[in-house]
Amino acid sequence: MSSHATQSVDGTARTDDILRLENVTKRFGGVVAVDDLSFSVREEEILGFIGPNGAGKSTTFNCVSGAFPPTDGTIYYRDEDVTGMPQYALVEKGLARTYQTFRPLEDRTVLENVSLSMVPNKLFSFDEFRTDVEDRAREICQQVGLTEYMHQTPDELPHAGLLRLEVGRAIGTEPDLLLVDEPFAGLTPEEVERTATLFRSLREDGMTLIVIDHNMHGLLDLVDRVVVISFGEKIAEGSPDEIRNDPTVQEAYLGGEL
Amino acid sequence: MTRLDLEPRHVVGIVCLGGLAFAPFLLDVLTVRQLQGALFLGMFAMSWDYVSGYTGQLSFGHSMFFAAGGYTATLVNLHLGVTPVLAIVVGTAVAGLLGIIVGFPALRLRGPYLALITLIIPLILVQIANIFPGILGGEAGLRSPDSLVTIGDTVASILTTIGFRTPFDQEVFVYYYISLFFFLGIFTLFYVFTRSYVGEIFTAIREDEDAVLASGINPAKFKVFSFTMSGAVGGFAGAAFVHTGGSPSPDALLLVVVSIEVVLISILGGMGTITGPAAIGIAYYFVRDFLQTTFSHVSMVIFFTLALLVLFFLPKGLIPGLGDLSRKILELRDRRANPTT
Repeated sequence: MSSHATQSVDGTARTDDILRLENVTKRFGGVVAVDDLSFSVREEEILGFIGPNGAGKSTTFNCVSGAFPPTDGTIYYRDEDVTGMPQYALVEKGLARTYQTFRPLEDRTVLENVSLSMVPNKLFSFDEFRTDVEDRAREICQQVGLTEYMHQTPDELPHAGLLRLEVGRAIGTEPDLLLVDEPFAGLTPEEVERTATLFRSLREDGMTLIVIDHNMHGLLDLVDRVVVISFGEKIAEGSPDEIRNDPTVQEAYLGGEL
Repeated sequence: MTRLDLEPRHVVGIVCLGGLAFAPFLLDVLTVRQLQGALFLGMFAMSWDYVSGYTGQLSFGHSMFFAAGGYTATLVNLHLGVTPVLAIVVGTAVAGLLGIIVGFPALRLRGPYLALITLIIPLILVQIANIFPGILGGEAGLRSPDSLVTIGDTVASILTTIGFRTPFDQEVFVYYYISLFFFLGIFTLFYVFTRSYVGEIFTAIREDEDAVLASGINPAKFKVFSFTMSGAVGGFAGAAFVHTGGSPSPDALLLVVVSIEVVLISILGGMGTITGPAAIGIAYYFVRDFLQTTFSHVSMVIFFTLALLVLFFLPKGLIPGLGDLSRKILELRDRRANPTT
């Protein structure tokens, strides 16, 4: 009901989707973390990917971003089967992610953290012009609002700054699709609003975003479309308004609190 | 004031380099011979630092590379009649290959598990050397292979005129400068790599591999590369050592204590600096020698106590510690020059 995408009939035809999950399942031993999940993401949309704690959101992200392969199912990025491809290769293709638990390199400055995402993945390279990399890293710091912290180490950053650093590092890889894992956790309402503004500006620059959150407040104002999962299964998909009024979703969330 | 503003640490570096460059003219021949050995210890330590200090992939058995290079070069020279230059090339290649072989477990194993594997390999090699004493020389080691250079009449007469009269003096002189050339070459090579983006990736691997993956970089490739290059350079140093008067024996190249010493040197000098292991490798050799001749059997107790004190008071290592000191002196100088600020 919600999809305006030109759905492919045989799965091999080209679609407008930048990312497509088909029957993705991830089992850890006997535990089914993600259960037969299918959804697609269109170019230049901001998709909300929500569900209660432990619903399998981060596991899905890990499968998509290449941290580990799914047990079953197929993941297409721009109609190419990328299931089980290692993370660095996906980043090279344009699929980047941020971590919910921030992963800064504590031994170097914010600027150097961002620069790392621009170095070549080659053993020998002479096309590394340091000033270019540094200029671009400065631009990114400015873009995500870290200019004043550029020469400080990550342990001097406030919580919101670490999130910005995660996003900055991801931007440095020049992604077309950015997976953002729980960006709003622990932020003040003003910071949530500023972060949302940043995501909107990235989309205006042509990026597609998938944003995870277990809390729908704030997120529903940002996103174009929402996929809701619970216990690893998709329980709803639609516009923010449709999701807000969906009784199944209300039930999944603490028996109807929304 | 038009004084050249050099930091104290740079001044110290230049003085040390000058000292190394003119050492044969300043020191007696036996000390120069020792200094040559010290240079090799510095090369061994740098090769450890390149992989373990930078990427954090701890190797406790780096002697395997020195031995692979030194023994291979000796064997192909003695038994196959390969020229010393080619023997060094073969030794380097074999050690590099061993680096690749050790690099792969590093992709699956971390921390103590990897360290244990690297520790076990030289232990096995020592046993193999003992099982085949005929070919591998056993505990005593092999006899020395051919010298890398033979001193011709012209060179000998020049050396005689500048005061190096006996063949021993001349040999020490030539070996020393060859070793210094290799030392500086290896230093430059490692310095260039670690100060480039490759060094940035190495240290990022040490800090957080997930962050490296998220940056679109394949850490596996860089880990294997660091082991390969470290092994090849360590093997080169081992091969050059045996062809410039060093003994191809377990004592010098293979025993666990050799591996532990390069770790200790690098930690004392400052892990992940290259300059630290290079400088402290040389100093270590002489401090150890001084203690051994002065205190005989309690020397190692004193030596390791000193090492513990350094680690306690300068946990980053001597060279970074002195670097901090140098910066403090600089600040003090600035403050004295401009008391108002």
